[in-house]
Amino acid sequence: MTTRARPPRRTGLRAGASTGGWAPALTPGTAMRIAVLGGIALALLGLLLVRLWFLQVISGEEYAQAAEGNRLRTVVTEAPRGKIIDRNGELLVGNRTGTDLVVDPRELTGERRQQVLNRLAGKLEGVTPADLEKRVDAGESRPFESVVVAQNVRPALAYYLAQRERQFPGVRLRDSYLRTYPEGRTAAHILGGTGKISADEVDGYRSRGYEGNETVGKGGVEQEYESVLRGAPGSYTREVDASGEPTGREIVSSRAPRPGRDVQLTIDSPTQRALQDAIEEQVSLNGLSTGGAGVALDPNTGEVLAMASYPDYDPSVFVNGSQKQIQDVISDPENRLLDRAIGGSYPAGSTFKPISASAGLQDGFITADELVDSPSEIELYKTIFPNFRKHSHGYVNLPTALEVSSDTYFYQLGDEFYRAQGSPLQEEARTFGLGGRTGLDVPGEIDGLIPDPAWKRKNFAGAPFTDLDRSWKPGDTINLTVGQGYLGVTPLQMAVAYGAIANGGTVYTPSIGRRVLDPNGRELQELSSGKPTHSIDVSPDHLASIREGLYMAANGGGGTSTAVFGNLPPDRRVAGKTGTAEQVEGKEDHSWFVGYAPYDDPKIVVAVVIEAAGTGSSAAAPTVCKTIAAYSETSFDPGLCGDGAEAN
Amino acid sequence: MTTIAPPRGARAGFGDRIRSALAGLDWVLLLAVAAITGFSLFVIGRSTEGDIEGEPRFYLDRQILFVAVGVVAMLVAMRVNLDHVSRWAWALWFGLLGALAVVFALGEATRGSHRWIDIGPFSLQPSEFGKVVLIVVLAGIALQRIDKVGTVRYTLLLTCLALIPAAVVFLQPDLGTSLVYAVVLAAILFLVGVPWTHFAVYGSILAVLLLSVLWLLPAAGFKVLEDYQVERLTAFVGADRDTSDAGYQLDQSKTAIGSGGTLGKGPDGATQANNDFLPEHHTDFIFAVTSEMFGFAGGGLLILLYALILWRGLRTMARASSQIDMLVAGAILAMLAFQVFVNIGMTVGIMPITGIPLPLMSYGGSQTITTLIAVGLLLGIHRRRSPIPG
Repeated sequence: MTTRARPPRRTGLRAGASTGGWAPALTPGTAMRIAVLGGIALALLGLLLVRLWFLQVISGEEYAQAAEGNRLRTVVTEAPRGKIIDRNGELLVGNRTGTDLVVDPRELTGERRQQVLNRLAGKLEGVTPADLEKRVDAGESRPFESVVVAQNVRPALAYYLAQRERQFPGVRLRDSYLRTYPEGRTAAHILGGTGKISADEVDGYRSRGYEGNETVGKGGVEQEYESVLRGAPGSYTREVDASGEPTGREIVSSRAPRPGRDVQLTIDSPTQRALQDAIEEQVSLNGLSTGGAGVALDPNTGEVLAMASYPDYDPSVFVNGSQKQIQDVISDPENRLLDRAIGGSYPAGSTFKPISASAGLQDGFITADELVDSPSEIELYKTIFPNFRKHSHGYVNLPTALEVSSDTYFYQLGDEFYRAQGSPLQEEARTFGLGGRTGLDVPGEIDGLIPDPAWKRKNFAGAPFTDLDRSWKPGDTINLTVGQGYLGVTPLQMAVAYGAIANGGTVYTPSIGRRVLDPNGRELQELSSGKPTHSIDVSPDHLASIREGLYMAANGGGGTSTAVFGNLPPDRRVAGKTGTAEQVEGKEDHSWFVGYAPYDDPKIVVAVVIEAAGTGSSAAAPTVCKTIAAYSETSFDPGLCGDGAEAN
Repeated sequence: MTTIAPPRGARAGFGDRIRSALAGLDWVLLLAVAAITGFSLFVIGRSTEGDIEGEPRFYLDRQILFVAVGVVAMLVAMRVNLDHVSRWAWALWFGLLGALAVVFALGEATRGSHRWIDIGPFSLQPSEFGKVVLIVVLAGIALQRIDKVGTVRYTLLLTCLALIPAAVVFLQPDLGTSLVYAVVLAAILFLVGVPWTHFAVYGSILAVLLLSVLWLLPAAGFKVLEDYQVERLTAFVGADRDTSDAGYQLDQSKTAIGSGGTLGKGPDGATQANNDFLPEHHTDFIFAVTSEMFGFAGGGLLILLYALILWRGLRTMARASSQIDMLVAGAILAMLAFQVFVNIGMTVGIMPITGIPLPLMSYGGSQTITTLIAVGLLLGIHRRRSPIPG
């Protein structure tokens, strides 16, 4: 570019302006420069047009959706969960309103997020800004959802935040429902609790149509009947401005929340309370005891009337408690959250003897009337097997053997089982429902264990065990016959098994959910109560003699629990068996009692174990007695229950 | 102020005076400017209705006033004899520098803004008016020493004249306007025929500067640009899109424009603007609002109107009756084209966010009046054009 505009200086220009007639020659150089300038300018405008075409015509649809996403905000309104009531209609779990603190991640962009969350964390107890940020970040990926950062906010804090909306953009208070437990600790383990969906559960729940921030049942009935108890949350979609405030121009759609349905349980609150109180009393009476559990069933339906585990907890801690209180419950060394009634595995002790008796009778190893010498001890396979406290019972038949709980009688039967083909005792035990989950409609059940040769081989496989350790020995069967050794049962399993003895041989699947009711109390659905699993192949005569033995054990002159049940009114007579489950050397025995009442028309069967509390009649039997006394169908003055004596 | 000589009849009637005033007007340019201004008033009015509670016409009324003042200024500018004015180029230059320095000093003293001088309810932004002043100054001095063109001294002189005020403006800080000053300089250097080697040297210096400001110096610990400036300059590249406020603005702008589609969502349906998702919707991002409301039809029409102004301007340049007219018209066109491209380019995501308003569209008194003065100069140059068809 060498040529240049070249007219003379100011004089020429002035002349041009004033005369109006003189025009400077448009030199080729100037013309070209004007063309270049114009070309560049127009090319740039052309570029803008192309870009505009791309944004609006080619990608318009995509951006239109983004704009809709900006404009429309869906707010979810929580639905109250269904109530949980007992079989008499007594309220066990209800609702009250509370306040949730929610954060909308889309309103907290850039640096503002950290600032606001820092400020918020300062107002919340036990939450760090990093916690909050993590939760809010996680919630960001989900459209139309806000993140619940705190539940059940204190009214003072709610008021504080409501007054300072500008300092806390994107932070809102939302009405929510909180669980109430008018009966306190009653049935805490059965009921379970509720909580926000956790990070590892979120995908599962979302695939079932949940929002990521909903409250769901955690454990117990709350979890099992989640689909019934959960209401359908309502929602409304409306137009908002950039700060998230409704413009008031239009509500695009709205749906009212539908409350959850109520669940009525088979639980009988008076019986439940009596069982819980009695277990707690026995555990505290026995200084070494670490806990206890019990189950009361209707033997004719399998309905659970009461089910308790101790140590227990106050479920409202999870609603109202501080972080520390909650942590105390969760990490308690006594394992308060464990439901021992379905999740605790114990050897059954002598309460197992009726099952051994049934197996012996069915397979013809014994008859009910046969008299068997039952000395203070007996030697089998070069091993001495003693009676409890070295008592000698002389020649006894089966009912008497059960009445006095003769070990030597059953050791000899155990030898028969050992020498027989297969594992007849184990098979019988499984038929009664032991060694496997009963199918209760509450999560947390364990299988327990009926040991047999196959199990032993597997359990002691590999080093450091030897073939000798793995081999099934006579003592294994003999010990099992009296409910000792490797045997593990839950109180619920024992209640189901004795229920079958009481009802003539039907094993029921126990159940806790009874009916689904609408919010007005009308029945919507009958739950699984009263479904028999199967009938045991046992002759009525055999069952009758076992029941006679159980009756004598609670009422006869030599009965192991006559001291407890001997004074009951004639129409409330109990049949049942004590058990003393031996633990490893140096630890106190577990105290068992399983029984039913009335003995001639059973309406309730109760199984109780008190850990490390000694013999069956001293701790467990009085607990069972008081539980039966509290049930309306079998009620009597609990003062008639005796204290019990040392007997296995 | 000399005017084009009116017919000197013994009794020049009112009609004659009007006729003479209208003679030689560039009607096409005027219509394009009027169309854009009308467009602007409509969009500002509709998009700011809800911005100030109880005063739906707050911005609209003010902008109408600015336009009115601007039109008067335009009519005056039309009659300015650039040749006469350019004799005062040095005085004008010191005046400009003084005004900028005063604003800067006042801002420093009150710890307030360095950009504005408050005058009653309004505030004056000298750097805006400075654009036009700088054009006249540079064109004038360039022509005073036109015999030295091609020398390094000549180029350096003009460069200093432009960059000293640009530096003050940059420190206000107003990056966008200082860039406009630089563009004015580049246009004038180009039009007077400075050798291409000088441009090549400037290009290299510019590249090194950009690299230093954005990368080398910050890496070495010197902060030349404020954080928000760097953020805005780099947001359009797409990095850190949703963490920065600039990225947010850009996203919302593109969403507004894109969602307008072919025919737009109408003034009521423009939720990006009306619901405040789009910040600065009446100032820097007004093109996004227009495109949301009226779609490609509206946005495209607006761009075509700017193209029309450029075409008329180029035509006027080619027929300019003097060198000073040609230079001033060229610099004005370069300034307008640069601002239009950078502003719209910013809203559609192909240019950095520099805070340059869209001429004749964006709300704002100083820039509206300045642009109308520039239009007035163009109209005047057109009227003085050579009668010989170019």
